[in-house]
Amino acid sequence: MTAIRLRINGAEVAEDVPARLSLADFLRERRNLTGTHLGCEHGVCGACTILVDGEPARSCLMLAVACDEREIETIEGFAGDRVMDVLRRNFHRHHALQCGYCTPAMLITARDLILRRRAGSEREIRDGLAGNICRCTGYTNIVTAIAAAVGEIGEGGA
Amino acid sequence: MKPPAVDYIRPQSLAEAIELLARRSDEARVLAGGQSLTAMMNLRIASPGLLIDIARLPELAVASEDGAAVTLGACITHAAIEDGRVPDPSCGLMPRVAATLSHRAVRNRGTLGGSLALSDPAAEWPVVLTALDAEIVVRGPNGRRSLKCAGFTTGIFETRLNGDEIIESVRIPKLSGDARWGYLKLCRKAGEFANALAVAIIDAGGEDRRVVIGAANGAPLVLEETSRVLAGSTDNGMREAVTADLDRAADRHLDDYQRNLLTVAAMRAVQQALQ
Amino acid sequence: MPDDVRGIGASLLRKEDERHLHGRGQFVADVKLPGTMDVAFVRSPHAHARIRGVSVPPEAKGLVFTAADLPGVKPIRVVSHSAGAKSPPWPPLATDKVRYVGEAIAACIAPSRGEAEDLAAAGTVVFEPLDPVIDPVRDMRGSRHPVHEQWGDNLYIEHVLEGGDIEAAARTAEVTVTREFRTQRQSGAPLECRGILAYRDHRLDEVVLYSSTQTPHTVRVALAEILDLEERCIRVVAPDVGGGFGPKARLYPEEIILAALALQLDHPVRWIEDRGEHLLTAAHTRDHHYKVTAYADRGGRILGVDAEIVVDAGAYGLWPQGPYHEASMVARALPGPYTFPNYRARHHTVATNKTPLGPYRGVGRPGACFVIERLIDEIARAVAREPNDVRALNLVRPEQMPFTTIGGLRLDNGDYVASVKLCAELLDLPAARARQQRGELDGRKVGIGFATFAEQTAHGAAEFASRGASIIPGFESCTARVLTDGSVVLMVGIQSHGQGLETVLSQVAAEELGIDPARISVRHGDTESTAFGFGTFASRSMVMSGGAVARAGRMLRDKLCRIGAHLLQCDLAEVRCADGVVAGPRGSVTIAEIAKVAHLRMDGLPAGVDPLLDVTATYEPGISTGVFSYATHGAVVAVDPETGFVELLDYAVAEDCGTMVNPLLVEGQIRGGVVQGIGTALYEEIPYDETGQPLAGTLADYLMPGAAEMPAIKIGHLHTPTPHTEYGMKGMGEGGAVAPPAAIANAVRDALSAIGAEVNETPISPRRVLTAIRNARDRG
Repeated sequence: MTAIRLRINGAEVAEDVPARLSLADFLRERRNLTGTHLGCEHGVCGACTILVDGEPARSCLMLAVACDEREIETIEGFAGDRVMDVLRRNFHRHHALQCGYCTPAMLITARDLILRRRAGSEREIRDGLAGNICRCTGYTNIVTAIAAAVGEIGEGGA
Repeated sequence: MKPPAVDYIRPQSLAEAIELLARRSDEARVLAGGQSLTAMMNLRIASPGLLIDIARLPELAVASEDGAAVTLGACITHAAIEDGRVPDPSCGLMPRVAATLSHRAVRNRGTLGGSLALSDPAAEWPVVLTALDAEIVVRGPNGRRSLKCAGFTTGIFETRLNGDEIIESVRIPKLSGDARWGYLKLCRKAGEFANALAVAIIDAGGEDRRVVIGAANGAPLVLEETSRVLAGSTDNGMREAVTADLDRAADRHLDDYQRNLLTVAAMRAVQQALQ
Repeated sequence: MPDDVRGIGASLLRKEDERHLHGRGQFVADVKLPGTMDVAFVRSPHAHARIRGVSVPPEAKGLVFTAADLPGVKPIRVVSHSAGAKSPPWPPLATDKVRYVGEAIAACIAPSRGEAEDLAAAGTVVFEPLDPVIDPVRDMRGSRHPVHEQWGDNLYIEHVLEGGDIEAAARTAEVTVTREFRTQRQSGAPLECRGILAYRDHRLDEVVLYSSTQTPHTVRVALAEILDLEERCIRVVAPDVGGGFGPKARLYPEEIILAALALQLDHPVRWIEDRGEHLLTAAHTRDHHYKVTAYADRGGRILGVDAEIVVDAGAYGLWPQGPYHEASMVARALPGPYTFPNYRARHHTVATNKTPLGPYRGVGRPGACFVIERLIDEIARAVAREPNDVRALNLVRPEQMPFTTIGGLRLDNGDYVASVKLCAELLDLPAARARQQRGELDGRKVGIGFATFAEQTAHGAAEFASRGASIIPGFESCTARVLTDGSVVLMVGIQSHGQGLETVLSQVAAEELGIDPARISVRHGDTESTAFGFGTFASRSMVMSGGAVARAGRMLRDKLCRIGAHLLQCDLAEVRCADGVVAGPRGSVTIAEIAKVAHLRMDGLPAGVDPLLDVTATYEPGISTGVFSYATHGAVVAVDPETGFVELLDYAVAEDCGTMVNPLLVEGQIRGGVVQGIGTALYEEIPYDETGQPLAGTLADYLMPGAAEMPAIKIGHLHTPTPHTEYGMKGMGEGGAVAPPAAIANAVRDALSAIGAEVNETPISPRRVLTAIRNARDRG
């Protein structure tokens, strides 16, 4: 067991974890933050995407022990985050989710695209979503929702 | 799947990491970005007894340049290269390659050194850095040594890295301002592993020519004949050269489909470079 | 549609969204109970072998369970009433033999999944390998080691469906087109894999199963039978389910084992399937072989079709329907919506040493559509006509409706030819042809292809009985309750796993009761709190469950009016229930006020009216042969003849599902279905090697469609309400997935027409495209 200290959604967390425990399982099983989902555990589907030190990362491919002193943000966070609020509203308005399993990761990825100014066209958005599989929606409405969010926010999340 | 039990340690310096690795090299694996190693552990394809976490060692995150070359620390991420946050010796080739490597979330963590150390046959960096004539600087218990990238990879997941060594940095000679390059990654789905890879570089007024292919069942393959006849060749001449180069690599047991795809990739990369 | 309309036809935004947008969904792996132990299975590495012994390390005693450790568990057994059907017993944990790679042999429990996997790896099983049956065409009549020894052959069932005189058609045909087709084995692959949490509730004397299933009520029926428990002692809950698509509409051995473990161990047990397990052991789908001949006259009119169909159904039958429906569905659907009068379909459902085959969006229809729509295009080529003209020539016309096809499907209504025209418009066919003629600078070839189909939906007794089913999902039910504050709860037997049924069923109730859908809760997926129903599959829920909600709504409305009229002291005929009140000539009373009387002040009720506002209604459509949605899909592709890569440039759907309750959600289902169909058409397959090893074990091998490769999908609608359902609606959830393989294969054929290459196999991979090009060139 290894002691780790990290911040999750702004709160300090200290725990002892076995080295083999993934960040995803740490969040889901130890911290009861079950909004981060597991779809493959080999880094392809993207359903486990969260923010590590402000950047999207696959929580199934990170070990909790390797996250000592890191800043983690999950879908349960983003309180007061304007880009996330606008994205959520547009996902709702444009029917960009069905079963909801890919949705938390899709939102986090979309938010990152907008902040990095990589959501300026349909082509850019689609390329930026390539690492997030959705089995239900066929992607059209997700792309529409993100483009609409960009329209509301302006590029770069200003 | 979940990994088997493993020990973990995060050394505070590269020297400490090397010392740890030397002591337990039979069961230890170096953990950098973890984008490959963790997946392999999750699938129980890899079961190290100890992980030595070097991801945040400051010595390995340094990027520097001098007149002739750019040196990138082994733990510089693909995203940093993609974004141009580190100097680019390659007239835009490396950022372009980085942008096609897996997906952003993986690029945020995956490292240059990690890609080289693993040498997946379909990986991008071994091919591109071979084409750029890069050198890999390696640290071990006996100090530093420098290995040419060309020949660093010796087979599928096999390299010249000794079990007690860690890649420290990669030194990449700068292309001149009027260098031309072509890069082709053929795959069906954005971000997946390449079905065929090809890089073509023309520099030094056309004197320096290198065509290298990857996803070819082994180490990156330098197409010597193709590199030779590159400029001023017809399509047919080019195709013959590629065929000759692939024939010389018969021990890779490429089937007709793979040979065809690699040929197409090589020729299109060359066409890009010549435009 | 005015803003204030919230009933039928409103594109109401979904109630389900709120929890999912904040990560507050509750999927089975999100349910936490103290003391839960995780389960990992020991699974067979062999496709076919006898088990000679299982040894468990001493420290694992009491933590590893084989079939011998769970003696009260009976095998799964599908009952089919079809003549000649053979149904093998399927022990949930293997006893003396394993019959597919992945078959479960033992369950290991531990405080965490990782530790359970350690246990699973620590034991040893001694096998005596047998020859596996891998080729269903070659081995259907027998093999050295048949999959089920007592059979003598490897056939679950075979049958001939015929009508008219196919020999006469063959004799008089001026055009004969024969082709072989293949749809490769694939996975339904919802993003959430399967999962089960099981525990004993001592207060209620129940074993409770949370399961990521589409069919909780029928799972309970099966568990009661197999575990020899009374149904009142079993509760099955489908919480939020992350996609189902068919593979989760079947009973699985893991559900039985987890329930048995929960009963024996008296602490919660949990099994969360991982992706590798899912690709290996969740139902495989679509694995068909075809050899088909179409006969036509020189104008392109089809005279008859003669088909040989083989379904590779794997090692066991998935309960309740087994593998028997797949081939018969294909046979019935293969004539499509065409009027030709002569047909023969010989179909064979074969047992192999592979994962059991189950339903997946469209089931037999994507394969059937693939075959007939490719043949239409080949007939068109043979008679030098446009494929869409040959379609129009052979399609059923509105004035012929209702029309029973030679396959036995009774099409109710619709204008199929109009869908062909609309699809071509949506795709801008002239512009696509112009682009094709111009040629691409990069040397790629552009092609355009179409496919038309009928989708049988909300079918019931007549259809399922004809398939020999022992369970007939011919109705749905709804218990509707008005609470004392006027809010409403609908308890329904279907299970929404992405379709938005919590929203659309509220719209139906709102339509009947005149109250805001926001005041209506929909409870589904829990045997404890819902009326019996069959679950969500077969494009049935909107029609069946919506119909039950409508009936229940009207029953409630009638009672509200009776009580309201009494309170308003006027005649029943003078009151109306709308906008949250019952209004009469001299005033109105709110539904809440009526509800209070019905519950808390029953002294205010009229004579002869009982307290409560609580009704249960069942519903079946006016006919049980199904109501038919239909569509024409069109695809524009660019094929790289050097690499074999296929890019989708454009895609359009012209569809008709009658009355749309929520057009926004209808379009979402179409787009989702189309992309799954594109996955079938271009990317997804699980090949098996000659030793019976499946070769796609991760998502790196099993490619799923991603946003970067998908086109924006254009949709146009026709509207032909059916007289047989509430509001004229038809089911449509599966249709999107039916036509893409056909439309895309036709587009590839069109793109490579100068070369003469055709690919009649899905997925249309680069290798297959290049092989087809090489074959065409070799043929000269």
